[in-house]
Amino acid sequence: MGNKIEISGLEVHYGGKPALNRVSFDVHENEILGIIGPAQSGKTTLLKVINRTLEFVPEATLNGTVKLDGVDISTVSDVYGLRRRIGMVLPLPVGLPLSIYDNVAFAPRAAGIRSKSQLDELVERCLQQAALWDEVEDRLDTLGTKLSGGQQQRLTIARALSHEPEVLCLDEFSIAIDPVTTMRIEEVLKTLRKEMTILLVTNLVQQAKRLATRTAFFLNGDLIEIDSTDVIFSDTPTQQATYDYVNGTFG
Amino acid sequence: MNSMTTRAERKQKIVLQSIAFIILGIAFVGLWHELKDARATGGQPASEAILLSALSSLLNNLYIVLSMSLVAILFGIACAFYLEEWLPATNWIRRLIENLIAILTGIPSIAYGILAILIFFSYADTLKEAIEAFPLSENIEAIPSQIETTVFYAEALTFILMVMPLAIKKTQEALRSVATPIREAAYVLGASQWQVLTRQVVPIAFNRILAGGCRSMSRAFAMAALLVGIYTWHYTTEPGGMSGRFILFLSVALVLSIFSSTLIWVHGPDSAQHS
Ligand SMILES: Nc1ncnc2c1ncn2[C@@H]1O[C@H](COP(=O)(O)OP(=O)(O)O)[C@@H](O)[C@H]1O
Ligand SMILES: [Mg+2]
Repeated sequence: MGNKIEISGLEVHYGGKPALNRVSFDVHENEILGIIGPAQSGKTTLLKVINRTLEFVPEATLNGTVKLDGVDISTVSDVYGLRRRIGMVLPLPVGLPLSIYDNVAFAPRAAGIRSKSQLDELVERCLQQAALWDEVEDRLDTLGTKLSGGQQQRLTIARALSHEPEVLCLDEFSIAIDPVTTMRIEEVLKTLRKEMTILLVTNLVQQAKRLATRTAFFLNGDLIEIDSTDVIFSDTPTQQATYDYVNGTFG
Repeated sequence: MNSMTTRAERKQKIVLQSIAFIILGIAFVGLWHELKDARATGGQPASEAILLSALSSLLNNLYIVLSMSLVAILFGIACAFYLEEWLPATNWIRRLIENLIAILTGIPSIAYGILAILIFFSYADTLKEAIEAFPLSENIEAIPSQIETTVFYAEALTFILMVMPLAIKKTQEALRSVATPIREAAYVLGASQWQVLTRQVVPIAFNRILAGGCRSMSRAFAMAALLVGIYTWHYTTEPGGMSGRFILFLSVALVLSIFSSTLIWVHGPDSAQHS
């Protein structure tokens, strides 16, 4: 199996304060990589490096390389195109101030798709994939911001899928939604895995255990351990800290 | 920045403002006595022709000044977009302009009103002399346009100084209200800065930007109303010119107002950081 993403010697500082310390690892094609670790350990920062939205933080400095399909992303000149190759679901659902339809059609339109039939088809498929279609099918022209929290988060996922990303990053997607919706989305992720590589940052270790093929444990900006999920959640991971965190005896 | 001023600064502001208002009050009382004296010594009320001519010239003038204010507000909104969305917060030009705006928006409307009245006096007196020098009624309309240019620019500048900083400040606040996570939602979809601005930021901030623009414009209207009132009053009472003392009082009140807002600006942000 090939490597979709190769990260080597990645260092990030915010105004001189370290957030990631010389992190190196690979993400395999079509895997779900679970990323766990307590708050402030650099998980969100890692995702921001991958889709180059860290560039919006003026005080952030970055060293090391991140390669997507073997190409150093810092050398990619079309940063918008790069971002469209990576789907991003942020912790709190944010509706664009547009209709449900336009929310999902936003990225395809930004990428230049104009055909109505093509957009219709795409919007339906993404909403289906995000397990939201049945609930909004008859009111696609109402404001996306009028949906409930759980629905908005699924709308975010539909939006992230709308530009047909090769990599899907989810940052604590279930933080603001109910367990039933969470389970539905987890089922969706299992099927999506066949089509794309998934980076699943999660505050719920059990979620990583349920979904991830491999799991990485971050702590204070260090990558403590990365291994198959079975090993990380076994009684004998390499690092004691991993064992403590996974079993809730951390700290 | 005004909202961050502490209680001590607010006290300073209130004291200085009170002094300004007291001086203003004394000035008005003084003026009232002047008027009484002028009446007693037989000052004549202006003829209707002079009043109408003066008023029409003023309204003409205000019409242009208000249009300019509107343009200044629109320009201010554009400036705010440039400052807030394109220049980094550390850029020295942005910081300079923001500091200037903090001072200018801190000056209360009354100070601008006084400034406008002071400018108006120099206008009114010249106008009256001109009208008296050419008593032929058919020439009256033509006279003001010959003498008003300088005064007109001064007045226009006063209006612009009053409305533009406010428009910039309110627009910046509106843009800032669209927080980073909301913008990120569009950026992660591969939207360009322009797309984020037009499809995300502006729709959300639109009402607040509009409200800020309306507020700035209503300031200009209030000042215009004040000027029309003073103008009419001046020509109907005809006291033989405003007293120099009154103008002095007004000038002192103006200086104090501006001084107090500068003081607040100097102390405001700093003490807010300490607390
Ligand atoms: N925009 C920022 N400015 C300054 N420091 C930041 C910023 N974002 C994150 N940090 C810091 O970087 C570290 C890692 O944060 P983050 O990547 O958000 O961790 P996590 O997602 O694991 O909670 C934290 O110490 C955090 O305070
Ligand atoms: Mg985070």
